[in-house]
Amino acid sequence: MSWTCEQIEASLSEYLDGLLGEGARREFDAHANHCDRCGPLVARVSGVVSGLHRLELLEEPPQLAAIILDKTLGPKKQKLSWRSAFEWLRLLSRPRFAYSAVSIADFRPANLYRAADRQVHLVYARGSKFVADLRVVYEIQSRLRPQSEPGTGLENKKLPQNSPDNPPGMTNGPQRNQPRELNRADQLHPELSVLASALPSAYERSLP
Amino acid sequence: MEQDAQLVQQCLRGNSSAWEELVRRHTRRIYNLCYRFTSNRSEAEDLSQEVFLRVYRTLASYRAIHGGFTTWMTSVTRNLLIDHYRRTRRDRLTDSLDDAMPKLENKESAARRPDQHAVLGELSGQVQRALRKISPDLREAVILRDLQGLDYQEIQQVLQVPEGTVKSRINRGRIELAKVFEQMGLRPE
Repeated sequence: MSWTCEQIEASLSEYLDGLLGEGARREFDAHANHCDRCGPLVARVSGVVSGLHRLELLEEPPQLAAIILDKTLGPKKQKLSWRSAFEWLRLLSRPRFAYSAVSIADFRPANLYRAADRQVHLVYARGSKFVADLRVVYEIQSRLRPQSEPGTGLENKKLPQNSPDNPPGMTNGPQRNQPRELNRADQLHPELSVLASALPSAYERSLP
Repeated sequence: MEQDAQLVQQCLRGNSSAWEELVRRHTRRIYNLCYRFTSNRSEAEDLSQEVFLRVYRTLASYRAIHGGFTTWMTSVTRNLLIDHYRRTRRDRLTDSLDDAMPKLENKESAARRPDQHAVLGELSGQVQRALRKISPDLREAVILRDLQGLDYQEIQQVLQVPEGTVKSRINRGRIELAKVFEQMGLRPE
């Protein structure tokens, strides 16, 4: 029994995609080759399908993949290399930069000598001021030392001892009969008085 | 396809190079799918970005045993395209007058420059204009089969419809497209 036009139309895509069995394909061809309605239909649809298959994929916008990667992975960090680290040196070799540098700089010998002499004096003055400041600090420290050594009280304090039953590093807990912290405000008064007496003489000595 | 599954595994282990490779492998296909459906390059670009963002967030839900990565990604794209289609439906209703103009221009240009219609770039434009004339159901079936090259089973997975429905939509879509080409006075072969 040969196929009807409705059967041909319903099986058209399976025929074009090669999904029909051998017998069905023969029946399809037998009808389509002799039918004035189905023959042109098969030719038209076959032409459209082959046209679609010939189409290549359109090129995506060039930045699309980069945008997607930025949105998913975050902006790409630029790699630091030795070349990029010394990139600024290239600027120096540009003629425009070199010309402007030369025009700004003053290479006359008299000016160069004056600038160098000024720098030497500045360094010497800063150095001598630093040494004088150090002398003042050492003098104050040496005055304070005989007062502070016997007053620390640390040698009389009983330090927490390890209990033989506890593992190393563990103590018996807080010592209730000892103050938790030394009140350093009590020791401040004698030290301030020594400092006040030492400062005028030290200041006089630091004057040239 | 197996390579895609390996790349996905590497992505899930935190390898960003694997993700870069996946993006580069699929950007063009996804962009084309979006463009063929929307007929708008700017929308296609935005939708492609959305697709990859969603894929990136839901990559852990992909299971290689349930199908190829391409099919899974096409499903994600198709869902987004449906959302987009529903969102922009109202805008398209106002475009019906604009649709008439390209049709007239095409007939005119077909009569004036028949030799240039063999050029693939022009064929691409003709296909795009013809695709807009058929219903979205038929359009997506034809795009997936003839422009994206998916087989019937993959299309069934993407569309989540029975195999008979897939065959029927592809078949009717092709016949409708052939009629539209004929009405536009174009011969794609």
